[in-house]
Parts: sequence; structure tokens; C-alpha cells
Amino acid sequence: MVRVRRVLFATAAALGLSLSAAQASELRVGFTLDAMTLDPANHRNRETETIIRNMYDGLVTRDGDMKVVPQIAESFEMVSPTVYDFRIREGVTFHDGSSLTAEDVRFTFERLTAEGAMGDGQTSPRKSLLGPVESVEVRDGNTVRITLSEPWPILPAMLPFQEVVSKAFVEKVGTQGLATQANGTGPFKLVDWRKGDAIIMERFEDYYGGAPSIEPVGEACVERAIFKIIPESASRVAALLAGDVDIINELPPFSVEQVKSNPGTDVMTVNGTRSFFVAMNMEGDLFSDPRVRRAAAHAIDKDLIIDRILGGNAARIEGILSPDAFAASTDLPVYEYDPEKARALLAEAGYPDGVEITMDTVGAYKDIAEAVASLLTKGGFNTRVAVGEGAQMTQKWRTKGGPKSGDMYFTSWGNGSLDPFDIFTPTHRTNDRGNSAGYANPEVDRLLDAAAIEPDTQKRAALYREAEQIVNGDLPYVYLWVPQDIYGVSKRLTGWRPSADSRINLHDACVD
Amino acid sequence: MSLGKLAERLLHLVPVLLGVSVIVFLMMALTPGDPVDIMIGDQNVTPEQEQAMREDLGLDLPVHRQFFVFLGNAVQGDFGTSFYHRRPVLDVIVERLPATIELSLVALIIALVTAIPLGVLAAIRRNSILDKMATVGSLLGVSLPGFWFGILLLMLFAVHLQLLPVSGRIGFSSEIEPITHFLLIDTLLRGRPDAFWDALKHILLPAITLGLPMTAILMRVTRTSMLEVMRQDYIVFAEAKGLKRGRILFRHALKNALIPTVSVAAIETGSLLGGNMIVETVFGWPGLGRLVVESVFLRNYPLVQAAVLFYAVTYVLLNFIADILYTTLNPRVKL
Repeated sequence: MVRVRRVLFATAAALGLSLSAAQASELRVGFTLDAMTLDPANHRNRETETIIRNMYDGLVTRDGDMKVVPQIAESFEMVSPTVYDFRIREGVTFHDGSSLTAEDVRFTFERLTAEGAMGDGQTSPRKSLLGPVESVEVRDGNTVRITLSEPWPILPAMLPFQEVVSKAFVEKVGTQGLATQANGTGPFKLVDWRKGDAIIMERFEDYYGGAPSIEPVGEACVERAIFKIIPESASRVAALLAGDVDIINELPPFSVEQVKSNPGTDVMTVNGTRSFFVAMNMEGDLFSDPRVRRAAAHAIDKDLIIDRILGGNAARIEGILSPDAFAASTDLPVYEYDPEKARALLAEAGYPDGVEITMDTVGAYKDIAEAVASLLTKGGFNTRVAVGEGAQMTQKWRTKGGPKSGDMYFTSWGNGSLDPFDIFTPTHRTNDRGNSAGYANPEVDRLLDAAAIEPDTQKRAALYREAEQIVNGDLPYVYLWVPQDIYGVSKRLTGWRPSADSRINLHDACVD
Repeated sequence: MSLGKLAERLLHLVPVLLGVSVIVFLMMALTPGDPVDIMIGDQNVTPEQEQAMREDLGLDLPVHRQFFVFLGNAVQGDFGTSFYHRRPVLDVIVERLPATIELSLVALIIALVTAIPLGVLAAIRRNSILDKMATVGSLLGVSLPGFWFGILLLMLFAVHLQLLPVSGRIGFSSEIEPITHFLLIDTLLRGRPDAFWDALKHILLPAITLGLPMTAILMRVTRTSMLEVMRQDYIVFAEAKGLKRGRILFRHALKNALIPTVSVAAIETGSLLGGNMIVETVFGWPGLGRLVVESVFLRNYPLVQAAVLFYAVTYVLLNFIADILYTTLNPRVKL
């Protein structure tokens, strides 16, 4: 028995030593979801992209201020509202040692946009992320020209979502092979994908350095980077506290204090891109009355909820756009918290004794929705919260013009591109995908449609601002806040900061 | 059991699987939520683009036609392509299966080696403190929710005592080339005791969490059946003959008392599959259960359908094994 114990101790000690040796320059991220595939063109999933983006670079990327800057492209210009030219950088190599050419870029975009280009008659599920891209061609050796079928000014904002693949490699391994193998130009190359468990990557020594405008330029800081998949929040926090991982995403607000007070860990936040709002069913009798909608806006004390429940980690909004988004207005009228006024407006609308309503939401938002409901109740809306599953709620509220039932819907819409096109239009255009309020205003539709194709940045911003003013008056939604994304980090981590587009770029991250 | 009987039992699988396919298909079709909508997420797309994606996934067909397409392919062993992984669902499921099977087997072993001795002890020391503690313990074991108990173990052993890892199957410095894909076996086959120890440390907490309700049930079954057997004439006779107590207990009583335990264990192994979904999520265990949970939320129909069929087959087979074990161990019963 003693002998067995000794052997066990010796193995444990050896294991401990080998672990600490490996940790010398190994960075681990505790992450919510595994990649579905490693093929940059064959998924429609944000988490998958976050992982892939550390192995694959794009034509362009975003810097710390979310500005779109050249990455594999050396420069780009808008030749006309429907034609963009990208000059391709020289000296970029793929992980297999081959050099990247303009032809690889052309191939990448053709694979993304052409019907049936994925093989077996399949089209890339990412095609719609490139809107009206019509053709891609190589001009004078190292320039790639993208032609659009109609003006689409958000093309540069959408390009960071696409990564460049090697034509020769894809032709060699096929779409099937690309699902589990990676050959990018990014700062890390794939070592092992333990499906469902972890993606292990090592530094790519021949990295061209990345976007020249984002310091530091050069190869990655750490030798090994690992995405470790831990879906459950409590377990993710436990892994951070135990020192198993150095970064965790989606730190729940209620764990912020625990992570802060632990000696080896800290919390980092960044303005997110997800706007929260309460949709009011304008097709129903109650909320078709603008006075009732204004009453609801006056009944909700946003500052109180941001302060008490979100731990101060959110920015309040008076329109759909995040303060960081393109064309966001700063001078929108504010509906101040005033429960008296709310009740008075309700009385004026014919409800002197208040009304009984139900507010739908999903499980993840239940606590906050309850708080909003209790404020609404004080303002005369006797509110009950009903929790449903996400997909079910989407079907009920985002009816795309179909009949709508229900009173209120506490929900959110993400805006990774930080452009109004992807959030303002779907939530406010008549019968559009995200229009859960059933809002219809031809003037707003006209402004949104015009802005979608206006190539002049100033004019485009002005169109969106005009629409924001109208919407702020019509009030189909009570606009609430944009929460910050919260990350837990180990104190041995340096050089990394969270990014507003919720990418986790490990190129600059170092561990002591 | 004759070969004919065996074949007959296996034939019963056919209507069961057909029924399960219909039910799963209908349930997925009736559940609100649209895979394409979830996939597009918060993006601005035209209705034409949305329709193109729907066609690409084969979701533009009416439900009954989708079902027959599914059935036709399934009969040939093709369960379709995962909407998200964009690979054959069978490949995706098979990758995740070893982790789930390994975890379930270890949970089963833990349950058996704790439940049987405890059950026997509780029976022979009936109404003692030990018996009462075992009763309370088994009540707790059945009623504690897995996600709560799992996180409790995690906080204690991984965060506070730092004795065991938080999640995963094996550490990052224990890289081994798979042979059987069961890490506890592969590490030994590769001659890596350090990696074996590492894998064992990883599997311990999830296996205990998963095995807890089963331990509780098996202990109760063993205790009851042991008490039952101890009242039988042949035990009384053995005692009267002056046989040693140990010999009576282990040679005569336990052998018969274990018959119900073994068949309940075989059936309960099926319920480990359900427990897997929770335990794998809590401990970041890369198994099938977690994959199915993710797929249900994403409305990844082909994957859910194939996985449920797999569960159904496993469940039926386990029941079948339970029957065989029962008749083998107890010659008085004939199927």
C-alpha cells in the first residue's frame, strides 16, 4: 500500500512539474461553445468565428476603436458605389508554407458568394453576410476587385467577418477536409482539435505580423493558445478561479464581485454591441395608442436597473443604436423616469385604474425583465413576466408581417458590424425580420432604404439620424441599454483587451 | 433463451425505432422556432436570401416530405447533414460517443461498488444508525439535482482544495494518440501512467455526479432484496446447520439478492444517458449529451433526430440485456 502511494505521489509530482513547464507560455481561454467547423465559409455561428479568426486572417479587420483597417489587404478604396478595389499585401504565407496570392482572395470570395460553390450543390451559409456582392476578379496581379449589384456602403464593415483560405489547400482537401483542418494565414496554427473539449493552437512562426496599424506587429506573444470549452457559466468561473484558464467570456454580472475579490483574477469590460429594448405590440388595442407607449417609457427607471442589477456595466440608449455605432445620435429626447406622469398618460388614454399586461422574455433575461416589470407595475402597468424559450419567442414576436399576439416583449438585437443597417432596418422597417413591435411608418422605411445604398458617409449618417428622431417620437419600443461584455481574466495576462465586436483576438495577449 | 427468441426480440426494435422516428420528427416540427432564423441571428437579410438558406437545408419541403426523405436516407444509414457542423451527423455523433460511454461506464462502476456493499450492510444491520444514514443518504442521492450537486463538488474539490480539475477529459500536457478513444484505456495501452492518472482525475467528479442517483437506487434495491432473501427458508436452514455467517451471507444470500440489483442496474444505465446531458454541460465533458442539448437549442433537426434514435436503440438494448441477465442469473424464470 505504501508503495502504491509512493508511486502515485511520484506520478502526481511529475505531472505537476510537466504542467507548470507547459504553462510557461500557454494561454487558455474558457469559452462557451466549441467551433462547429473550422471551415471559415461553412458556418453561421459567432463562437465558431471567434475561434477560427485566430487561425485565419481576413482582408480587413477592426482595431481597438472598431475602425475597419487593412489586414491581408494592404489598402482598399471605393472606386464607385458598387466597385471596391483591394490591394493584396505581399509576403503573407499560409501555415503550410505557401504564399498567399490575389487568386486565393478571389477564390475565397467566390466560394462564399457563388451558388453551389461549396460542392455537392451547397452554397455557403455566409453568403447573405456579403449582401449584393456580384463578382470578384483579380486585376493586375495583386489587386482584387469586388463588384456589387447595387450600392451597399456597409461592405467594409461586413468584411472583417470573412477569412481568407488557400485555394490550393481547399482543392486538395475539399470542403469536407476543411471542416476539421486549418490552413490560414493567422497568428496561430492548429495543433489539435479535441471536439467538444478544446482547440489547441501554437504560434505560427512565419506570421507576416498582422495589420500594420495595430501595434504590436509581429508574431503572437504566447507559444500556445487554447480555447477550452466550458458551456456552464458557474463552471467557467470556477475554472478561472482555480487558475485553469486565463480568460473567460460571458462572465455573469452576479459573479463579478467574486472574481474581483479573488487575488489572482480581475474583471474586464467593453461596450457590447447588443441593444436591449421592450417591444410594445402596436397591432394590439392597448399599445396602438401612443400615449400608452409613452407611459411605458416614463415608467421604466433605466438608470436604477443599470446601477443595481447590471452593476453599472451598461450604457443607456434613447434609440436603437449603441453609442459606439455609426451614425448614433447624441441629442435624442429623453423619456425621464416619472411614474406619476406614466399613470397620468394612462388615465388620459382611458385607463385611470391602470392595465394588466404580460411581458414575454427568455430565461436568460428573466431577472432583469422582472425588475422592469416591477417598475412598470408602479407606473400603472400591472405586469406579469412570462418566460419562454428563445426560438419559441422569436416565432411569436418576429412574425415578419404575420399576425401578432401578446402585449410586451423584453428582448435584444445584436449589432456586430456596428452599422445601423444590421440593427435599425431589421427592427424598424415594416414587416422586417426583427420588427417585433409591428411598427410601420412609410417615412422611416424610405429613410432606411435610402441610407442602405447611400455611398456618401455624411449623407448616410444624416438619413439614419433623421430616422432616429422620428422613431424616438413614435416609440415602438422602450429603448433601454447596451450592456458591456464582461470577461474574467487572470492577473498574469497582459497585452489583451476585450473587443466590442466580441472577438477574442489572442495575437497580442501575453502571460507571465 | 433460444436463437429464435433472440431474433424475435431484435425484430421488436423495428416498430420501436419507427415509432420513435415519427414522434421525434413530429415533436421537432411542432416545436416553435425556425433553424434558419436562429442561424441568421441578428442580421439584415432579404427574404430571397432567407429562402435560399431554407432550400439549402431542405427545409422548404412540407413536413411529411421531409420525414420521408429522412426515413429513406436513414434506412440506408444516412442520417443527413448537421445544419451547423455541415458534416454527416453520424460522424459528429460518433466523435462524441466514446466520451459519453466512458463516463457512463465509470459512473456505473462507481454506483455498483458503493451501492452493493452499502445495501448489504444496511440490510444486515437493519435499523442501525448505519441503516438510517444509508436511507437518508439514498433519499438525498435521488433528490439532489445533478447540476447543483456537480457545481458543489466543483467548488469544493477544484476551486477550494484544488485537488481535481474543473472540466474536460484530460489535461493539455497529456497528449496521447487515441487507440480505442477511451482515455482510461488508451493511456494505459500507450504506457502513460501519468496521463492515466490525469484522465482519472478528470473523470472522477462528473462520474460521481452522474452515478449518484443510480447509487441511491441500487442501494435501496440491494437492501430490500437482501432482507427478502435473509427471510428465506434455505437461509434459516443454513443458519440452523451452523454455517459461518460470512459464508451464509456471501455464498448463499448475496448471490440471490443481487439478481434484482443487476437487472435494475442494466435498466438504470439507460437513465444515465439522460443524466449525461446535465453532467456533461456542468463539467465541460465533450460527450454526446452536451451536443444534443446544444443542438436542441439551435434546432439542429438532423442531429437531434439521429441522437434520439441512438438513445432509443440503446435503451431497448439495455432492457433486453436486463432480461437476459435476469434469466441467466435466475434459472427459475424463462423468457
